Amino acid sequence: MSFLYSLRLTRWGIAGFSTLAFALTLLQSIGFYQVVGHTPAERAAFGRSMAQLAAQFTVLIAAPIRPDTVGGYVQWRAYSFFAILFGIWALVSAYGAARGDEERGLVEEILATGTARTDALVTRVLGFAAGAVVALAAAALGVVVGVSGAHESIGVDSVAGASVNLLGLALCCYALTLLVCQLAASRYATAASAIVLLGLFLLNSLSRQLDQLSGWRWLSPFRYYDLSQPLAPGGAFDVRGVEVLFGSAAVMTVAAAVAFSHRDVGSPLVRLPVVPHPAVREPDRNPVWRVPVLRGLYDRRIGLVVWAAGVALLGVLMVILTKGIVEPLLGLTQLRPYLNLLITGGVYPSFLSFIWFGFAQLLIAGYAIAQVARWSAEDTDGRLEAVLSNPMSRRGVIVERATLAMIGAFVIAAVSGIAVGIESHVQAIDLNQGRLIAASLLLVPMAMFFAAIGALLASLLPRATVGVLGGFAFVSYFIVQLAPIFHWPSWTLNLSAFHLYGQPLSSGVDVTGLVIMLLVAAVGFAAAALMMERRDVGI
Amino acid sequence: MAVAALSTSHLTKDYGGGHGLFDLDLVIHPQQVFGYLGPNGAGKTTTIRCVMGMIRPTSGSAHVFGIDCMRDSVEVKKRVGYLPGDIPQFGGMTGKEIVAYLGGMRGGLDPRRVSGLCDRFDLDLGRRFREYSSGNKQKLGILLAFMHSPDLLILDEPTGGLDPLNQQEFYRLLREERERGATVFLSSHVLSEVEHVCDQVGIIRAGRLVRVADLAELHRIRFHHVELEFADDSDIPEKAMRRAEGVTDVNADGRIVTCTVHGSFAPLLEALHGAEVTNLVSREPSLEEMFLEYYQERSELPLLP
Repeated sequence: MSFLYSLRLTRWGIAGFSTLAFALTLLQSIGFYQVVGHTPAERAAFGRSMAQLAAQFTVLIAAPIRPDTVGGYVQWRAYSFFAILFGIWALVSAYGAARGDEERGLVEEILATGTARTDALVTRVLGFAAGAVVALAAAALGVVVGVSGAHESIGVDSVAGASVNLLGLALCCYALTLLVCQLAASRYATAASAIVLLGLFLLNSLSRQLDQLSGWRWLSPFRYYDLSQPLAPGGAFDVRGVEVLFGSAAVMTVAAAVAFSHRDVGSPLVRLPVVPHPAVREPDRNPVWRVPVLRGLYDRRIGLVVWAAGVALLGVLMVILTKGIVEPLLGLTQLRPYLNLLITGGVYPSFLSFIWFGFAQLLIAGYAIAQVARWSAEDTDGRLEAVLSNPMSRRGVIVERATLAMIGAFVIAAVSGIAVGIESHVQAIDLNQGRLIAASLLLVPMAMFFAAIGALLASLLPRATVGVLGGFAFVSYFIVQLAPIFHWPSWTLNLSAFHLYGQPLSSGVDVTGLVIMLLVAAVGFAAAALMMERRDVGI
Repeated sequence: MAVAALSTSHLTKDYGGGHGLFDLDLVIHPQQVFGYLGPNGAGKTTTIRCVMGMIRPTSGSAHVFGIDCMRDSVEVKKRVGYLPGDIPQFGGMTGKEIVAYLGGMRGGLDPRRVSGLCDRFDLDLGRRFREYSSGNKQKLGILLAFMHSPDLLILDEPTGGLDPLNQQEFYRLLREERERGATVFLSSHVLSEVEHVCDQVGIIRAGRLVRVADLAELHRIRFHHVELEFADDSDIPEKAMRRAEGVTDVNADGRIVTCTVHGSFAPLLEALHGAEVTNLVSREPSLEEMFLEYYQERSELPLLP
């Protein structure tokens, strides 16, 4: 297996994460000069504010060093976030390399050419490493361009140090996922790898608050990543920490290669014996299979439960953190101008509206994109053809898909809304119940807005649908988050899908936005149905 | 006159660059088992997918029992059982869930019919699709096509992945379906499969139907592989053999000469005049060899006498 082929397999990840990394570092470094002030006193005050703000979030992200400098600020706002972002990239990419390609038969094809298993695996690791280097170079370029725009400079050695540290973490996460994927059955490999990585992330982040975990944090690669903050003046580049990251990545890669060499392709290293069962000769007797829409819901039941529970848990977590975060912030006079941008009603509703429902929009868009990804996959893997070989119209397929997406979004919105409502009551946060219901239910048209655009894209560009839609959601989210801070012109907000949602918890429902969302959803699905009628399936 | 089970008129799907299906006129009568033969990329699957309404023809039309396949594709599918060339990937669904899911869309699923088909092919519906072997996936595809006892079966290379025993079981099933009254449209590049079950054969190449023949006609176009052994003191009339009409692939190896004879043996025997032949072996080719020969177009020999 050639290195170039390995790079080709990760080309979309490289393009996407490089763009993302460049955009984030550029925005954060430009943004720093917008908010830091001009005099040393203003900068010092800003630094203190940021330190206090960061102290509320240490449960997730390490406290910054010298946030009054562009290096410290970018290290905190961008490179801390990159730990999560590159961890996710490593997870997805390593799963694809270890098990996803097996499911597609690609691994068998590669091994059939005479490529040794070890070579195949190591080549994939090198391919990912090269891709990560490209993305890190893009991130570094973003910092340099952003800083030089303000006629300042930043040390090349510190940017290189941050990049090397992040590369070590990404490789460590990649190798760990590769190893877990050798041990877990294919259908559980993603979940098992995600649980392990998330567990290690939380172990490190929670250990900042919980002393009883601090004795275990040496297990987490994120701990060693935190040891270095080379962009910040005075921030160390911890050589030993970086060595541990690269060293453990190497050890886990070797272990994964050994496991891969000893397991059957398509099976985990240790395969549990199949429990003998009498052969089944009859179709499933569950009547839901005969009911349109219900059969789809039943088929997706586990995914929907996970989505609903996950979003509800995050909502509850956000409500629990609300008072602890907001109260110290209110004492910071330097943050007043920033907070004034957010507070349009009560303080807590405004905070929850901006932070939680802002994030919930992104999550519901993610749910819609996941549905769209499934529709695209159904086209390419033949399931759509199997459905259409039955007396079912193409229009009916679109209607059933839209209904499923709507019910799924409604379940997620309802469960999370109820959970947030109950928890806010427990936390003695006074929320207007009507507005909470409206804010939760507005997530449904938001999901349908994305799903409709996705349905249309899936008819036009099935292979690029998820990327384009995901990019649109991501850009929309950042426009809404950044436009008020950077005083971007108001028309830029109109480019964001999330602007249509408004601030229903604090300001009530934006009827215009709602109507636009519903119109786009209706027109999008209608156009998708028309396109579906005319297009070739499975090509 | 009974309406055709399947008919196409100037059916064309032009992918550009000479690829696709061109001007297909075909009529398949009820209760007929029609074999649709052609090499890879000839246009077999394109034809089937046009008939099933999965792809839109560039021009022309296709009808199933008189129903337009494009305008009334839902009505068409009520009467059709379809086995695609590539079995869809159902991931983690179990076989019984897949059958219930797709059967539920059609309605009227008969569990006894499903159970009977599973018994015949020894298919366990309790396992997940991704755990099935390729043969079991194919069996599941066959089950999905046959389970509702359709009037017309459209099967795209149906025996791929099946072992010989299951292939024989499949051929028996096809005969039973014909006796029940079903029509079968079966694409294949395996002539022996056609020999087993088909009444009529359509041969397609480069997107064009080149021949429709019944099985008897196919048998008539057979050729023979001939091996001749000459006596030690005999001349070997190799040049005369090469010149003989209908004789090709003449190869001499010592006293043994092999050749292929198309049509009558008379020109070969005439070429052998005066030579002492100690042994002559004539072997009938398989249908597969005939098929390959037909497509290789190494000569312009007529197909039919």
